[in-house]
Amino acid sequence: MAAMAQPLRSHAPEPTYAEVNRDIIRTLDPPGAGWLAGMAVILLGLSIGGYSFAKQLKYGLGVTGYTPPVFWGTYITTFVFWVGIAHSGTLISAILFLFRSGWRAAVYRAAEAMTVFAVMTAGLFPVLHLGRAWFAYWVAPYPNIRGLWSNFKSPLVWDIFAISTYLTVSATFLIMGLIPDVAAIRDQAVGWRRRVYSVIALGWRNSNNEWRHFMRMYLFLAGLSTPLVLSVHSVVSWDFAMAIVPGWHATIFAPYFVAGAIFSGCGMVITILVPLRRGFHLERYLEIRHFENLAKLCLLTSTIVGYSYFTEYFIAWYSGNPIERESFYYRAFGQYWWATWTMITCNVFIPLLLWNKQVRTNLTWLFVISIFINIGMWFERFVIISTSLSHEFEPWQWAYYLPNHIEVGIIIGSFSWFSMWFMLFIKFFPALAISEVKEALPPPQRAPAGGGH
Amino acid sequence: MATPPVMDPRTGVVGVFGDLDGTVLALRELKAKGYDSITVYSPVPRHEIDEVLDQPVSPVRLFTLIGGLTGCALGFAYAISTSLDWELITGGKPIVSLPPFIIIGFECTILIGALSTVAGMFLNARLPKFRKAAGYDPRFSADKFGVLVFGGPAQVSAAEQILRAAGAEEVNNV
Amino acid sequence: MKRRKFLQVAGVTSAGLAAGCGTGEGEKWMPYLVPSDDLVPGIPTYYASTCRECPAGCGIIVKTREGRPIKIEGNPEHPVNRGRLCARGQAALQGLYDPDRVTQPMKRDGTHWKAITWEQAETEVAAALGAAATAGQDRVAFVSGAGSGPLDHFTDTWLAAFRSSRRLRYEAFAYEPIREASRLTFGLAAVPSYDFGAAQYILSFGADFLETWLAPTRQAIGFAESHGFHDGTMAKFVAVEPRRGMTGYSADEWVAPRPGTEHLVALGIANAIVRGGGSRVTGGDADALRGFLARFDADTVSGQTGVPKDVIERLAREFSAASPSLAVGGGVAHQHQAATQTAVAVNLLNIVAGNVGRTVTFPAGSVFDHVSTFRDLNGLVAAMSAGAVDVALVHGTNPAFTFPGDGFAAAFAKVRLKVSLSSYLDETAELCDIILPDHHPLESWDVVEPIAGVTGLVQPTVRPLHQTKQTFDVLVGLANHAGKNVAPAGVTTAREMVARAVPHLDTLLPHGGTWTAGAPRAVRMTRDFARATFEPAPFSGPNEGLVLLAVPSPMLYDGRGANKSWLQEVPDPAIKITWQTWVEVHPETAARLGMANGDEVAVTAGARKVNALVCVYPGVRRDVVAMPIGRGHTAYGRYALNGANPLALLDPVTDSSGALAFCQVRVTLARTGERRALATTEGSARQMGRGIARLTPIREAAAGHGEGREEPLTEAEREAVAAAAASQAKRRDLGPYGQEHPKWEMTIDLSRCTGCSACVTACHAENNIPTVGEDQVVRSREMSWIRIERYYEGDPSGTDWQVAQVPMLCQQCANAPCEPVCPVYAAYHTPDGLNGQIYNRCVGTRYCANNCPYKVRYFNFWDYGLEGAPKHAFPGPLTWQLNPDVTVRTKGVMEKCTFCVQRIRFAQNDARVRGIALTDGAITPACAQTCPSGAIVFGDAHEPGSRLNHSKRDARGYTVFEQLNTKPGITYLSRVVHTAAGEA
Repeated sequence: MAAMAQPLRSHAPEPTYAEVNRDIIRTLDPPGAGWLAGMAVILLGLSIGGYSFAKQLKYGLGVTGYTPPVFWGTYITTFVFWVGIAHSGTLISAILFLFRSGWRAAVYRAAEAMTVFAVMTAGLFPVLHLGRAWFAYWVAPYPNIRGLWSNFKSPLVWDIFAISTYLTVSATFLIMGLIPDVAAIRDQAVGWRRRVYSVIALGWRNSNNEWRHFMRMYLFLAGLSTPLVLSVHSVVSWDFAMAIVPGWHATIFAPYFVAGAIFSGCGMVITILVPLRRGFHLERYLEIRHFENLAKLCLLTSTIVGYSYFTEYFIAWYSGNPIERESFYYRAFGQYWWATWTMITCNVFIPLLLWNKQVRTNLTWLFVISIFINIGMWFERFVIISTSLSHEFEPWQWAYYLPNHIEVGIIIGSFSWFSMWFMLFIKFFPALAISEVKEALPPPQRAPAGGGH
Repeated sequence: MATPPVMDPRTGVVGVFGDLDGTVLALRELKAKGYDSITVYSPVPRHEIDEVLDQPVSPVRLFTLIGGLTGCALGFAYAISTSLDWELITGGKPIVSLPPFIIIGFECTILIGALSTVAGMFLNARLPKFRKAAGYDPRFSADKFGVLVFGGPAQVSAAEQILRAAGAEEVNNV
Repeated sequence: MKRRKFLQVAGVTSAGLAAGCGTGEGEKWMPYLVPSDDLVPGIPTYYASTCRECPAGCGIIVKTREGRPIKIEGNPEHPVNRGRLCARGQAALQGLYDPDRVTQPMKRDGTHWKAITWEQAETEVAAALGAAATAGQDRVAFVSGAGSGPLDHFTDTWLAAFRSSRRLRYEAFAYEPIREASRLTFGLAAVPSYDFGAAQYILSFGADFLETWLAPTRQAIGFAESHGFHDGTMAKFVAVEPRRGMTGYSADEWVAPRPGTEHLVALGIANAIVRGGGSRVTGGDADALRGFLARFDADTVSGQTGVPKDVIERLAREFSAASPSLAVGGGVAHQHQAATQTAVAVNLLNIVAGNVGRTVTFPAGSVFDHVSTFRDLNGLVAAMSAGAVDVALVHGTNPAFTFPGDGFAAAFAKVRLKVSLSSYLDETAELCDIILPDHHPLESWDVVEPIAGVTGLVQPTVRPLHQTKQTFDVLVGLANHAGKNVAPAGVTTAREMVARAVPHLDTLLPHGGTWTAGAPRAVRMTRDFARATFEPAPFSGPNEGLVLLAVPSPMLYDGRGANKSWLQEVPDPAIKITWQTWVEVHPETAARLGMANGDEVAVTAGARKVNALVCVYPGVRRDVVAMPIGRGHTAYGRYALNGANPLALLDPVTDSSGALAFCQVRVTLARTGERRALATTEGSARQMGRGIARLTPIREAAAGHGEGREEPLTEAEREAVAAAAASQAKRRDLGPYGQEHPKWEMTIDLSRCTGCSACVTACHAENNIPTVGEDQVVRSREMSWIRIERYYEGDPSGTDWQVAQVPMLCQQCANAPCEPVCPVYAAYHTPDGLNGQIYNRCVGTRYCANNCPYKVRYFNFWDYGLEGAPKHAFPGPLTWQLNPDVTVRTKGVMEKCTFCVQRIRFAQNDARVRGIALTDGAITPACAQTCPSGAIVFGDAHEPGSRLNHSKRDARGYTVFEQLNTKPGITYLSRVVHTAAGEA
């Protein structure tokens, strides 16, 4: 990787430890006009979402576009979308950590933050899609006066466990990684900020003893997160695969969804890092090769996703099951053809551009493509959910569903919610991991050869 | 060992290094001289330092193991006991049907495993602590390495020699 | 069930009426501080009465709780409907609780109405009556609906007291042609009664005898007996009509002649029978017939009617071979200017086939004997516009809506004082000056005699909801005010009149009346019919136009059902559209005119035009369009104000019998440019071989081949299924479910089901199911727990296609996919084999509905039960109809059929309390109870001898989507059909 990275170096000398501190901590300076403008837009979006949800609570789900037999629509679509987004974060921070791939250092913090906030966003939807959202807590198994527990056979209860575990663990992972960096900020800060950050830093002192236990802990967290990240989207996929709905009931779903999740996640990481890099002038740390690696990851997962699409259709045909066949024929050529072909174009064809090195190493191109990937992956979930439900076993009940303004409003709200957390995060915490960026650099040596050994 | 050192009121010194190899050199010397209460402050964890100090492997992994196993047990126990608490059949499936419960068990394994790992780290690293750390210098979180040595009067002054010899930019008393 | 219920059926004594039938207004929580004998809170009280929704006169049992009628069921003792009831009868409750009822006397004050007291009203009307009487003969007109019995006859006496004989019993569907034809062929102007049960072969010339024609429920019962597959055989039913409706769906064969030529087809068949020596007529009549029929040889008829020669001859062979057979005709939709000829031809067919006296008999009298003809109404209209009428009273009929064009309104306006005795502000009432609102029949006393020998009693089941007054009492009052004493001695109220007319009233009341099988009148053929001319019926309008069929709606009848939300929302049994008025256009015609479903078109006849939505429908001829009667009200209430009224396109033209020619004009269609989604419940009209509603050719069924489809499971799948089943038997896994429990199951015999949708309305009534309205049906959010799916089988481009219908309700699967996916156990399995749905637990994930392959779970998208909510479904007194034993679901919860679990539990508790064992048939869900054709059998599958198990063993039995191994609790028996070219 370094070999191909060489000619791309945007700058000659490696930054020193001191420069790393300076450049990264600078990102916490008081916000500029751009940041504030962005925040204003976000608040507008949030209020749109809030209004839509309030209306839905007052009158019931009738205000949405639900058209039986399509009882799940854009809410679950967007839920799965955000859970998917959440995956690349842990993938990059945990799995690449285990693989010791150095390029992770620069991008993992942003990716991890994205993960946590994406899960926080995803977590909203199972609640606000409910007919009686005010009773959402009934799904949790807690001792109650009704003497009734949850039905652990229901994939939705698996979801509760998977998502909440994922949120807890990835949040922990993020916070742990932050401790040394917060300590570094503390040591630079003055006044009330110093006091605040000292509390958050928990008295971290970079002593060899702290580092020793910290590294162990970090290693095991990574070890635990790896199976978790794979399991979470499998469980989400089983919401569908465990149902008997033609178009859902498929054994391929778990790997298919995990690949899709990583695909969409990497896409979103690119979408976020490109502006971040420009806005905070982090060209020295977020190097082209980092983006290129992300692009390669996208390319890989895109091919897996494409293969899964193909397999679905092949099996539908090969099974000889007329109902299954009908369902997939409808998906491709029925009323929802536009959604299906949007999905295939964005997820299978457009990423093919990434085979080209020029494209892969051109941030403008990457940004545009990553947007298409986000769109495509949202449509993937929409297609799976809506087309399958609208064309099920009972022909008499077939119907065509389209979302309406209330659902769109809530989706806008969810994007705003996510962006709000991320924008706040990058202003209060380093969007790049100070200590790990340093780690990736050659340590200060007296003799160029590096002393000691 | 040469002439016994003269009496010295200090109990410890910290050497501030601008480079890694100096730090490592100093540490190797100190170890050789048998100093045992040495603390190294470094902006980043460096394997060179670990090699010199060669401390035992952190016990955090035990926390992970125990936490994970507990979580697994709890997960299954939870699912099974609540299913038996009020026996309701759904979809013609057994009241206690283990396959779906595996997922609960698994998630609890991860959750409690992870949390106890973190707890293990905090316990072992004595975090959080809010009193001042001896000889700590804000620069240690930026680009300087620090070597803190405690010892009797004689050892301290000898340590100072070693630190300076290894190229400490400055040596401060504690 | 029946027996125990009858112990509970009460007669209303004056005490009972006072104490028992409280409306129990919400704010009075202690009306039963001193409970009356026939009223125990929580225990229903049943009253036997008679249905007044149409002239058929079915017996009903009204279930009341805490003094409020909440459900109507057929009276098992009653000879007309034998315990069954149609959708309209079920919906009578919504007439009682109609939120738009006129609650007290009102007087027109310019443009709006002002309330007045009964005293004021009666004084005013009485004065006008007196003046009219002194002014001269026949200056008072009284228009009522079909009536019979002492109260009805009293009206004539009353009218006479005011020196008038202008009495009209006006029914929009009065079957004058049948009466006239009977006069021409038998010298007896009466409506015969047809024995469908005995017929081996049924030939219908446009008679919708399962929908509105004569006594639909009685005919449905008979039809199921003969046409339902039993002991390897069944009658064949051939429908000869240019438009195939719900009745036609049950036909084994559909023959579509040119509109206006049905009589020629019938005569052609008769002729072929005679020529073929199949005639059972002997002597002089035979020669007369032979001579008369000679000109209707198959070639000529085929040329005139478009029915192939061989079909005519085959039908003749089959019809005469089967004995007894039955020919019927004279449906309103096909009532054209040769309608009498059609009826005559039908009679001749029955004569030559020897059916007269066997399947066609003439009772000593029937309600229709007294019904006026449309010509009489025309006469009245003429008289009114001539100013010959001073006072007109209208009761129980709505001529302003059913009279073609606006001729009635114009003439009516010339009447000095127009009095409406209706409790609804319908079109006619809107034209009146004073309204003296009548009780609803469920609040009234009456005696009706639908056919000779049957005396049905009408008794109050509830204390009057509003300040209404029974019309009989009003008439007596008016007479008294006018100083005329017309009532029999000591009679001032309807109840006294009834008591006077019916001896032993109190002993009869619990039975709903008295019936004696009167001997039918003997008839013999006369030859008057030969004087009629037998030509194709003429049609006005351009030749290239499309003949308009105005079809009576099986739900709204002649429009009187239009303000009942149940009837508006039950999909039309044939077309499956709700709340809207559509115009049926043949696919090829639609293509030619460039029209598609949902296009709004102007249906134009001369200067008149109405707008309707195009419904592309293969069941009409290319040269015909059809529109349903019943919608297009301009008054009558909140639910009625939608759609269009095809009668507005017609002229008051009559046929030779004086019947309105409903089928008289060729119309042209033109797109208005508007489009509206059809409020239909139909997703796909084809079941693409999924075996949901199955048809079996009679040959296979007779050979016991069942529905003759291949095994849906592969070898491997079958082994897996067997293994799963074995593992399910493990007691350890079953917990309390392992003990002894009944298992409630159901069978539905599709060869009896006609798709009439009575079950749908019954379910609405029993289970508090909300109606959602047009805009929600468009979003397929209808809530009905049971729906009739209607699939076309075969190529619908011609006439040789079949209709496979299946009532789809929760299948109560043993391995229910809906249950395990619910995170909160709202969906779970009861030990007695039901898919329980606990509304209070439900949080509304809707996962269960996604996972239900039968799509029989319904979600409360709105707060239908909440007063003031946008889609409130029970405004005003309609809430009083709600069944206290069933929750009214709130927004955000899933609901579904549970085999009327409240009835199951009630019966079980009742049996426990009485210390008796539950007998088979003691529990009947609402749908099974009302089903006119008795297609639904419910019972305990663990009871070896149950009727359920007997019918489950039928070779035709199948379960839907067996390959999913959901083990449904409902077994369908496939419908058996005679193949078109086949044997009778």
